[in-house]
Amino acid sequence: MSRRPPRGEYIETDTGNKVARKATLVGTQNIMLGGKTVIQPDVMIRGDLARTIPPAQSASGGPANNTAVAIGRYCFLSRGCCLRPPGRMYKGVFTFMPLRLGDHVFVGPGTVVQAAQIGNHVHIGGKVVIGEFAIIKDYVKVLDGSVVPPNMVIPSFSIVAGQPARIIGEIPEGGIEAFELRDLYKTVGNNPQPTAP
Amino acid sequence: MFGNNRLPAFHPGLTQSRIRDTTTGSGLWFPGLRSPPLPSESDPANDQLPLPITPEDLYDTPMAPFNPYTYIRCPCSELNPYTKRTPDVTAQGLSRAAQDDDDHTFDPRAARSNYSLYPLEYLSFCEDCHQIRCPRCVAEEIVCYYCPNCLFEVPSSNIRSEGSRCTRSCFQCPICIGPLAVNHVETPPDPNQLLSPDHASSSHSGSYVLSCSYCNWSSTEIGIKFDKPNSIHMQLAKLRNGGETRLTAKERKERRKEQASQGGGGGSSTGQGEEDLDTLLDMETQFANLKSFYQNQLSDANGTGKVGGDPSAALGNLGFDAPASLSRIMSLYTGSSSLHDKKSKSRPGTMREALAPSEGLQLASLDESSAITALQDFESTTGLDAYSSTASTTQLQSQAPYLGASPLHGLTRFTSSLRPIPYLLRTKRSKRCPQCRHIISKPESKVTTTRFRIRLIAGNYIPTITIKQLIIPGLTPPPMPNLPPDTIEPLKPAQFVLTFKNPIFESVRVTLATPATTPGRFPAKVTILCPQFEIDSNTDVWEEALKDNNATSSSSQAQNLSSSTGPEGSGPGGRKRAGTLRPGTAGGASLAGEELGPEVGKVWERGRNWTSIVIEVIPASLVQTAKRDGRGPIKEDEDVLEIPMFVRIEWEAEAPEDEIMPGLSSTKGGNKDGGKEKRELAYWCVLGLGRVARTL
Ligand SMILES: [Zn+2]
Ligand SMILES: [Zn+2]
Ligand SMILES: [Zn+2]
Ligand SMILES: [Zn+2]
Repeated sequence: MSRRPPRGEYIETDTGNKVARKATLVGTQNIMLGGKTVIQPDVMIRGDLARTIPPAQSASGGPANNTAVAIGRYCFLSRGCCLRPPGRMYKGVFTFMPLRLGDHVFVGPGTVVQAAQIGNHVHIGGKVVIGEFAIIKDYVKVLDGSVVPPNMVIPSFSIVAGQPARIIGEIPEGGIEAFELRDLYKTVGNNPQPTAP
Repeated sequence: MFGNNRLPAFHPGLTQSRIRDTTTGSGLWFPGLRSPPLPSESDPANDQLPLPITPEDLYDTPMAPFNPYTYIRCPCSELNPYTKRTPDVTAQGLSRAAQDDDDHTFDPRAARSNYSLYPLEYLSFCEDCHQIRCPRCVAEEIVCYYCPNCLFEVPSSNIRSEGSRCTRSCFQCPICIGPLAVNHVETPPDPNQLLSPDHASSSHSGSYVLSCSYCNWSSTEIGIKFDKPNSIHMQLAKLRNGGETRLTAKERKERRKEQASQGGGGGSSTGQGEEDLDTLLDMETQFANLKSFYQNQLSDANGTGKVGGDPSAALGNLGFDAPASLSRIMSLYTGSSSLHDKKSKSRPGTMREALAPSEGLQLASLDESSAITALQDFESTTGLDAYSSTASTTQLQSQAPYLGASPLHGLTRFTSSLRPIPYLLRTKRSKRCPQCRHIISKPESKVTTTRFRIRLIAGNYIPTITIKQLIIPGLTPPPMPNLPPDTIEPLKPAQFVLTFKNPIFESVRVTLATPATTPGRFPAKVTILCPQFEIDSNTDVWEEALKDNNATSSSSQAQNLSSSTGPEGSGPGGRKRAGTLRPGTAGGASLAGEELGPEVGKVWERGRNWTSIVIEVIPASLVQTAKRDGRGPIKEDEDVLEIPMFVRIEWEAEAPEDEIMPGLSSTKGGNKDGGKEKRELAYWCVLGLGRVARTL
């Protein structure tokens, strides 16, 4: 077989991550990707904002890693979004804390995420701001343009919208399958699959 | 994955029930809300924090992208839906019912339709009744209560005693409803102390405040600080605005007892305090005072019985001053029958009313001068309109009832005196079928798990329908110039591909019917080119799933595990079209000359568990019709082309071991081999195809 066409738009890793060449990943040693995650062009991930104070219970067995951004499987980071670890004063010293995303997390275009934790199966729309240390549980939908205030906790099965964001509805029982991102994963990359007819 | 990355827009026939997602301009539907959940523009609180109002939010600019939709009608909207089926539930009976439906076409824009149309994901399915169930007709039962902020479960006994709010430290901002955080009031830091961990806690002798990180509101604005960072709810209950502590009812009682034991000639200083206590009654105190006053009255009346001889006693028995009615009312409010003395039942009598603050008398304060002064002061000091210092209706509504508030005319009307809002609890709920009472949805009771014990959703039983406008280059006439994108031209045939995807493990036969012209103000001609077709079964799921995990991403193998938006990814080989084989999606245009248009009576395309067919519509001209019919201008969303469609699906299922349940819409075919039984399900749905252009 002849040589592949000169560089596709994406770098596809062994674990199936598709990272756009035009994405900006700073401090890659502090960014963990779970696999099969799509990172579109113009996405920025601030792995350089790692915590400056070691975790309190690092002595109790946890690996002394310094992950700043951890991303699960089948996440989809849309064009122009930004993942930025939250920071705060801790015992008089400013430090960043890790930002964790679960599996099947969709982050819309132009969205800024500074949460402490995003659960599994979360859909964040476009032009959303997720404030520092917000916690979003599983099966949550954040509508376009929402501003989730810092420290807000959003329980599972919530639909959230507004500025500041408030819970405006519940995900119906039949709506949880729609959070699955496997199919979307296949539609991007260097060999994208056709979408539904 | 969501179509277009947002929830499916829901447009029930009429627009009143539409809830605008101001961020996208598309409708958003959810049960239980009939008014916009988002802050309204007239809300003064939101003038400070304006929402971006884009042109899409305003009427008459159909610029927002339109997502085609399918809403399904729940049978509960039929008149007497249950009695109709109870006597003889057979296929004939059902088809007779369907016949009735055919006779009077379902009008998606009728006022009643608002209440019966649902997106598929909102619908459940009762396996015993074999029928669709919707949020309107299912019976909900609360599985557990929990705080949406701290996610702690609250036992239902606490709900009765403490109310339906979190009693830990979870509060929302009274101004913007953002979450409040407990913060230590920053004192000038002593660098030596801060770094040493053992001093960190001991030096916190200062106080804590609740503060909003969204709008920067802080509880210091109402003069409230807390001694410790936990159990804020309890601390707050004891604090009036301004930081003055409030005696709880118990403490007040004890203090009064003390004074009583000291005798009337006690110290003049405590007498002064008592005076204040009793004239400025807050709600809790007034209630407590009234209650004890009436209790005393009741026991007096019962004990002596001397009021019995009063000539007005016969009438008095009906008034509020009658012991019987009083004890009945009291038991309503106190939730117990402790006041109710059995002996008193037959004893008529009247009692006097409270005469002093200590008995619960609270004189209404009608003097508004302080409020007026406050308004004037606000204007003169800030230069802003005094209106902005008053609390909005939404702000007042979201305030929790506060027992420390002064009753009647003392309620606050200024944002400067709003108190932090303890979070309202949320619930996990199970759902029951309204007819057979079987549970059709039951979440795990643990707050933090998202699993369901039972989850019978309609999407696992009835086909999904996805809609796409059919444009064949070379065949479809080019759109009119200057036509807004995604709009349908009036008076011209437009074709749409409807793709039906089968979720069940048997192949199903689908029969469709629509009225020749849609009901309503702007009738459109409708033709289903292929009203009868089969969809193959959804059997290969596990095989496909395995393939999915093994195949590399570049594999062209057809696969499809779990999607809800529509049939996916059948490779070029798995996809067949009537007439000609369709070239790969990417190269479709190059072979356009050879493409055939849709043919009558033939399916358009089919794949593993899906079949698509073509529907042709000729919309009326909105502008011309509106001019002629004299019913005013085109209303919001009247330009959306909605097609009512009757769907009947039939399949053969494995017969259950036991006899057919009553209410099951199936018949055991006598000549059927080996326990197969015929089943069918029929329902109305409405297809939202797109917006009709407002051209002539
Ligand atoms: Zn219903
Ligand atoms: Zn709480
Ligand atoms: Zn606020
Ligand atoms: Zn039932």
